[in-house]
Amino acid sequence: MVKHVTQEKINLYAEASGDFNPIHIDESFAAKTPLGGTIAHGMLNLAYVSEMMTLAFGQSWLSEGKLRAKFKESARPGDTLTINGKISCIEKKDDVSYANCIFECCNQKGETIVTGETIVKLSSDKE
Amino acid sequence: MPVKTISYEELIPGYKFPPATYELSASLVSKYLKAVDSAGDGFVPPLAITACAIAAMTGSFSLPSGTIVIHASQELEFFKLVPIGATIECHTGVVQKITRSKMGMLILELEVLDESKEKVQSGRATIALPT
Repeated sequence: MVKHVTQEKINLYAEASGDFNPIHIDESFAAKTPLGGTIAHGMLNLAYVSEMMTLAFGQSWLSEGKLRAKFKESARPGDTLTINGKISCIEKKDDVSYANCIFECCNQKGETIVTGETIVKLSSDKE
Repeated sequence: MPVKTISYEELIPGYKFPPATYELSASLVSKYLKAVDSAGDGFVPPLAITACAIAAMTGSFSLPSGTIVIHASQELEFFKLVPIGATIECHTGVVQKITRSKMGMLILELEVLDESKEKVQSGRATIALPT
């Protein structure tokens, strides 16, 4: 999955989430910080990962997914993010199969923005 | 938006933020989906719910002027589908507060319930505050 980060989308996310931290939306404030400019909300980047998981696993992800993520770098306006995931193993617990996945969200320079793991239920022998 | 009731300096482990209630209306979900550039699937995206819970927390305490907040890590577990139009209740609190010379860190916990008081999701967020 590929997503393009723009200041407009960051501003929209601020409105939708209620997170108006100036590091995301105030370009003159952000320019004076060590980050040197505005950055996307970490949860905006993570939303792309969740969308990828929803596309792959549907309602099973939405209703029973687990996620652990680390925000490594900031995504900035103008960045193109590529989100990848793969199943690392399938585990069975109490007759239920779970997919353990790893994911990574990288920018156009190949820098990792977000990385982490997810667990999602695949099927139950009881169903 | 929650009313800021406490300062960052006053936060201690075990502190519970005032519960916050959100109606996940079609217009709110639509705005969220537009922001995350997604078509949606008829349910409330779970991270839209998390965003409400995080806003409930971070909007409840005030920071020293000029402080920036960086989201360092996030853990989440989802328990049920949430239909558009549902009302959720966000319960949040401080698990740990770490203060170092050039960095403060907060580990925050969240639990979100629906109208039936059933758990919708839970998780932990770590935020860093460079000083």
